[in-house]
Amino acid sequence: MAETTQHADTERAGEPGTGQRKSPPRPRGQLAKREGRAAYFFLAPWFVGIGLITIGPILGSLYLSFTDYSLLSSPEWIGLDNFQRMLEDERLHNSLRVTFTYVFVSVPLQLALALALAFFLDKGVRGLSLYRSVYYLPSLLGSSVAIAILWRQIFGTEGLVNQLLALVGIQGQGWVSHPDHALSTLVVLNVWTFGSPMVIFLAGLRQIPTMYYEAADVDGANGFTKFWRITIPLLTPIIFFNLVLQIIGAFQTFTQAFIVSGGSGGPADSTLFYTLYIYQRGFGSFEMGYASALAWFLLVVIAGFTAVNFWAAKRWVHYGD
Amino acid sequence: MSNRYGNNLLRGRTAVAAVFVATLALSACGGDDASTGTEAGTDEVTLRFSWWGNDERARITQEALDAFEAEYPHISVDTEPLDFDGYFDRLATSVAAGNAPDVITLGGAYPREYGDRGVLLDLSTVAEQLPTDQIDEAALSNGFFSDVQYSIPTGVNTYAMVVNPEVFDAAGVPLPDDTSWTWDDFIDIAQEISENTPDDTYGAVDPTSADVMDLYSRQHTGAGLYTEDGEVAIAAETARDWWTMTKQMSESGATPSASLTAELAGQAAPEQTLMGRGLAGMQFDWSNQLTALRGASGADLQMLRAPGESHGVAPGMWLQASQSYAIYAESDHPEEAALLIDFLVNNAEAAAFIKADRGIPANGEVLEAITPELDEDTAAQADFIAAVSDEVNPDLIIGPTGSTETRLIVERLNDEVLFDRISPEEAGERLVREVTSAIE
Repeated sequence: MAETTQHADTERAGEPGTGQRKSPPRPRGQLAKREGRAAYFFLAPWFVGIGLITIGPILGSLYLSFTDYSLLSSPEWIGLDNFQRMLEDERLHNSLRVTFTYVFVSVPLQLALALALAFFLDKGVRGLSLYRSVYYLPSLLGSSVAIAILWRQIFGTEGLVNQLLALVGIQGQGWVSHPDHALSTLVVLNVWTFGSPMVIFLAGLRQIPTMYYEAADVDGANGFTKFWRITIPLLTPIIFFNLVLQIIGAFQTFTQAFIVSGGSGGPADSTLFYTLYIYQRGFGSFEMGYASALAWFLLVVIAGFTAVNFWAAKRWVHYGD
Repeated sequence: MSNRYGNNLLRGRTAVAAVFVATLALSACGGDDASTGTEAGTDEVTLRFSWWGNDERARITQEALDAFEAEYPHISVDTEPLDFDGYFDRLATSVAAGNAPDVITLGGAYPREYGDRGVLLDLSTVAEQLPTDQIDEAALSNGFFSDVQYSIPTGVNTYAMVVNPEVFDAAGVPLPDDTSWTWDDFIDIAQEISENTPDDTYGAVDPTSADVMDLYSRQHTGAGLYTEDGEVAIAAETARDWWTMTKQMSESGATPSASLTAELAGQAAPEQTLMGRGLAGMQFDWSNQLTALRGASGADLQMLRAPGESHGVAPGMWLQASQSYAIYAESDHPEEAALLIDFLVNNAEAAAFIKADRGIPANGEVLEAITPELDEDTAAQADFIAAVSDEVNPDLIIGPTGSTETRLIVERLNDEVLFDRISPEEAGERLVREVTSAIE
């Protein structure tokens, strides 16, 4: 019985939110036209940017993906050969393995940590804004070159981690330089940048009206039930948003892998991320045509994942309307 | 949560506005280009010169360039120094974008990689500004292929064994006689040093690199990595033997663990190598690294011939242009660029600053002029090169197009072998297969 009550609450929970979001009246007439023109004018630099810097190169790379292009001489049309080659490219398959492992391990861990911390911070910690900033900081720094270099030092043979292990008598090894552990250090790096989904979760938690919790208290629900039956369902749109963004971001990981492995994807290709492999083919061995084909395949993979995500979202995300 | 605006955004007027602004922006770009050109009514010329290296090289190169600008007041030079790691990526990008530097520093197989693709100027067209008659023939051949001289050597270099006598002393091991030592001697010495020194000091750094495999293959079969006509020459068995040896050395502690070797592989700077930190007895390296390695380690490092030189079917060592200068084919100022290269390689004044930082000068007269001024470290390199120059293998084969990837292939397979993920035998086969596919 309690369940049905809560469901009903959940249903209603969305209403105030959507109700407030009234669309402003659409402007009409002469004035509107003039304003519209002005808007386009002010937007124009953005359109130029997206045309020249985004759409142009994207179409360019689509063309290049059907060519043999060495960067140094003109592209030559070779049809589907690049895509054919992808089927037999063992290093490519390895890089897909590495990237998928990374996405499937680091994104759930990162989101779980972000949600957990957001949940505790939301309980009313003194100096919340300080904590929020401190935890958010790694997100700003996480993909920077400096942090990647620092990571290399921390997880190196003589790094901080091993020094700490030595204190308790454990003889550590080079974490970034061992094929079995190198990827894990990058997963840790990604999890460490949990701050940006955390801040979004925090904002989401703040939106949940306290009356539901009060009602649940009256019904005698315990903390876990409240979390599971109220917090999570009402937070699903936020979880979904973070999930989509973080998956896309994880697929595109480049800087960390490039710096930590010195550009090689080593040791023994254990951190050969897909984007790093694209880079190696394009700039290392002058195969920009093949690299473009690889990039398009990545686009398809990410688009596919996002589509599946949106499809699955219908089953578990509650928008409350 | 639906948004009522979205639909109305992309309509005709937007497109018109976008095109209008795009046109403006494009014409603005065009205007920019013209104004940065050199046709301002004077003959002022600005050359762009790209090279890689450390701060010390930056300092002495700048001194040489100042002297050049003093001699040719109408030419000024913008340098574009970079780390070795990012250098060739950036060069490839700027060539693709059509704005490569006028004077380009290249090395190894890169002159061929670029020359064969039409990026470099045929230097015979600027022979007047850049005479090559004083430059060592063998060194010049490094930049000569497809019947065209594409680049000029900055100096001569050789790949050999750097040793740290202090580490040998501490371990109580005498320096070997490098005219007769074998690979077995190398293994034994490395083992002995590792055993008689603290845990963080090693008899030898893991010796595997594309250059050493080239050398080892020549000693054993007479052929290095590539054949004259651009095919793979190294046999899978030779590579297998090599990796069988180095894997044992790593397991026995004569060389560092797989993990430390992998960690060191990503760091090209001499200061960060085990030799540079005084933690290794032996390390293969290029002779022009001696000064940097000595400075970093603070020890009186020496150069020795590679092991096995006197026991193989042919000498494995060779002399090579350490780097070379080339001119971008699309340069607006090929003649001035040629003057700059001429100054750097044929002028004793420039050499007085650069000395042997880019290899021992290949111009005999220049070398003679600066010899008295050479510091101890550089003189040691010059002496070593003079001593081995009659013994080394005269057949220099520049790697074919695509061979610049070999370095990474060797590094990757080396990790696989040392971490016990594939056998030396499989590594040998994969080396041949992967290099073949890279140079196809």
